[in-house]
Amino acid sequence: MSDVMVDHTQKLEETAVPNNLEQQDKQDEEQPQQSVQENAEYEDEELHKHLVPDIIQLPLIPPSAVEFNFASYFAPDFMKPGNDQYVYRHANGLCVVGLASTHLAFKDKGGITAVDFNVGKSDRSGMKVTGKRKKNAQHFESNTALCKVCTNGDSYIVRCCVKGSLLEVNERLIKQPELLHSSADREGYIAIIMPKPADWLKVKASLLSLEEFKKLRVLC
Amino acid sequence: MMPFGHCLIMSSRTFCLSGCVLRILGTEDHIYCHSSFSQSMLCSVLEEVTSFKSEGDFQFCSVCSGILQLSYRDDKETLVKMKSPNDMALVIAELVKKEGHQVDGFSLEVSIPQFILENESSLLSGMKKRYESEPWFQERLLSKCVSVKDVLKFAITKPLETLLDTKASASSFRIRLTYTHKMALENSVERNQGFKRRKIGTENGLQNVNDESVVANKDCSDYPANETIAVTGRSSLKVPIDKVSEPCHLVYLCYRTHIYLCGRYLKYSRNVSQTRWIIDEERMGEASVEEIIGSNILPMCRGDNYKFHAAGREDIDVRMLGSGRPFLLEIQNARQVPSKETVKEIESKINGLENKLVGVKNLQVVGSQGWTLMREGEAEKQKQYCALVWISRPLEDEDVCSISLLHDMQILQKTPIRVLHRRSPLEREKIIHWMKIERIAESSQYFLLHLCTQAGTYIKEFVHGDFGRTQPSIGSILGCRAEILQLDVTDVKMDSF
Repeated sequence: MSDVMVDHTQKLEETAVPNNLEQQDKQDEEQPQQSVQENAEYEDEELHKHLVPDIIQLPLIPPSAVEFNFASYFAPDFMKPGNDQYVYRHANGLCVVGLASTHLAFKDKGGITAVDFNVGKSDRSGMKVTGKRKKNAQHFESNTALCKVCTNGDSYIVRCCVKGSLLEVNERLIKQPELLHSSADREGYIAIIMPKPADWLKVKASLLSLEEFKKLRVLC
Repeated sequence: MMPFGHCLIMSSRTFCLSGCVLRILGTEDHIYCHSSFSQSMLCSVLEEVTSFKSEGDFQFCSVCSGILQLSYRDDKETLVKMKSPNDMALVIAELVKKEGHQVDGFSLEVSIPQFILENESSLLSGMKKRYESEPWFQERLLSKCVSVKDVLKFAITKPLETLLDTKASASSFRIRLTYTHKMALENSVERNQGFKRRKIGTENGLQNVNDESVVANKDCSDYPANETIAVTGRSSLKVPIDKVSEPCHLVYLCYRTHIYLCGRYLKYSRNVSQTRWIIDEERMGEASVEEIIGSNILPMCRGDNYKFHAAGREDIDVRMLGSGRPFLLEIQNARQVPSKETVKEIESKINGLENKLVGVKNLQVVGSQGWTLMREGEAEKQKQYCALVWISRPLEDEDVCSISLLHDMQILQKTPIRVLHRRSPLEREKIIHWMKIERIAESSQYFLLHLCTQAGTYIKEFVHGDFGRTQPSIGSILGCRAEILQLDVTDVKMDSF
């Protein structure tokens, strides 16, 4: 479903506007209780007609909320070979960053064991951003470390990829690092960053689109 | 018997309507030639308190600045001298006609400069000094000063009632006479010290009244005369009544205070926003509920402007069906209050529009209590929705059952990413009161989800989970991926509308 306000979805069959709503008001006044109940049921039926969709017009697999509302970008081998990250950008400018499915960490046999946000100068999970103006949000460069993803044998630094204010990190990863395995592109996101428009344009140039990334990594 | 223009007392210092002297002494019978007063007595009173020499042909009363002489400067700076209150009523009636107002009653308001009250108290204290011991004075002191406003209002009201063919009452239609004076404006700072500043004109939000001059001159309608005299007593003994060479400036104004129409609206389109929405000069969506309703009602009231208020809102791509959403339309300066029949016509017209984007129910004119009705429980009210949901695996009977068993389930929603750029990052607790799955015959993965939630719940995020930032979500409850394709509001529960 679209966050952006254009009607992408199929139009439902247009049923007539119930003009009889007015007539029903008059009927209500004159006729006994039973009729009132019937009218209420009729109204419900009318409403129901509006609600039931025309199945034939619906796609077998609809686009996901992310596909629909975000533009996907990829940063292959970011700062280090094998460090593939994604940047999903919403129409309002906010960027969700995380590990692409081709990230080296997923190739580790032992699987991901822990996620630690205490990197660099501060614990990223500790900051509190408040208010509409996003006070106290730390300003990070694209190569600033966000967290450390640990596997049995190795550890990987995940970075911002986008220069901007850090609004939020996915604290659930601390207790549930397995989220990275089940859905790195949704529940396993790493952080949300708010770049300034100018900064976004600069970084956008260095990122790949989904198509380009697929070609690069030879994905189907 | 009215004092207008008559009985001007002349002293070597200044002029004053004998009427003004007498009304200050609380002469309630409006007869201005009391036997106890002689011309000479009045003159000597004035000698005590005045200090300027008089000049010219026509003189303005020092106390009322010519107001009760029906003299003033109009907006073209022309000096106007009316012969009787009838003439003033005529001017007002002309204005009402010119503005095209349909009048079912009127409320007359007069506002005068503050210094007039000060003059009155000056004169009174001057007389007090001289005649304090006199029995007739002591008797007079007990009655209230008859204010300039009351005299004027009383005089104009009757002829106005005749001319407008209606009665003076507590009406939304206001006729306002605003007297201001240059001198008062200059000295306003001095006068405002020690007085509490009052807000003026906030109820009706007038833009065309000269707000500056009104505030500076202090609407003194609500001060009872005695109180005012007590307040200004401090300065009155020292300040003489200045001679007045210029009359007041008068502005006539007639307007209707806001009228309200309320009702419930339905939105049948997924491409219509609730209010006018323009980004970078481009309109979002093809129309707005606000404009469709407002543009159809405004001309029937012949108003200047409208303001649309609704009890909550829905996204542009979400339809508003069923009971409809309560709204209030504020009409500014309506020239005509629509009748019940007219209102029914408007409702039919909107519901009969060809493009069928919006519908209206229970449209009616309502008083200012419409506000309280709207705000009542807006935050607590429950909303009912119907969502078209897709899940990544076939729907089982178990799912239908388990969903229907959840009652008053609490969820935690972080501010959705789609609004996070303009809202505070918070975690909000919301309640899902009940849910019901309605299977769709030809599909195993699509279904209709009917749900009733606490006001303020983000439904879309409750379905798809918003990167896991809404917990629980339909997806997490059913253990699979869930997406929402369409959303409709089916009920906004509000009893009073």
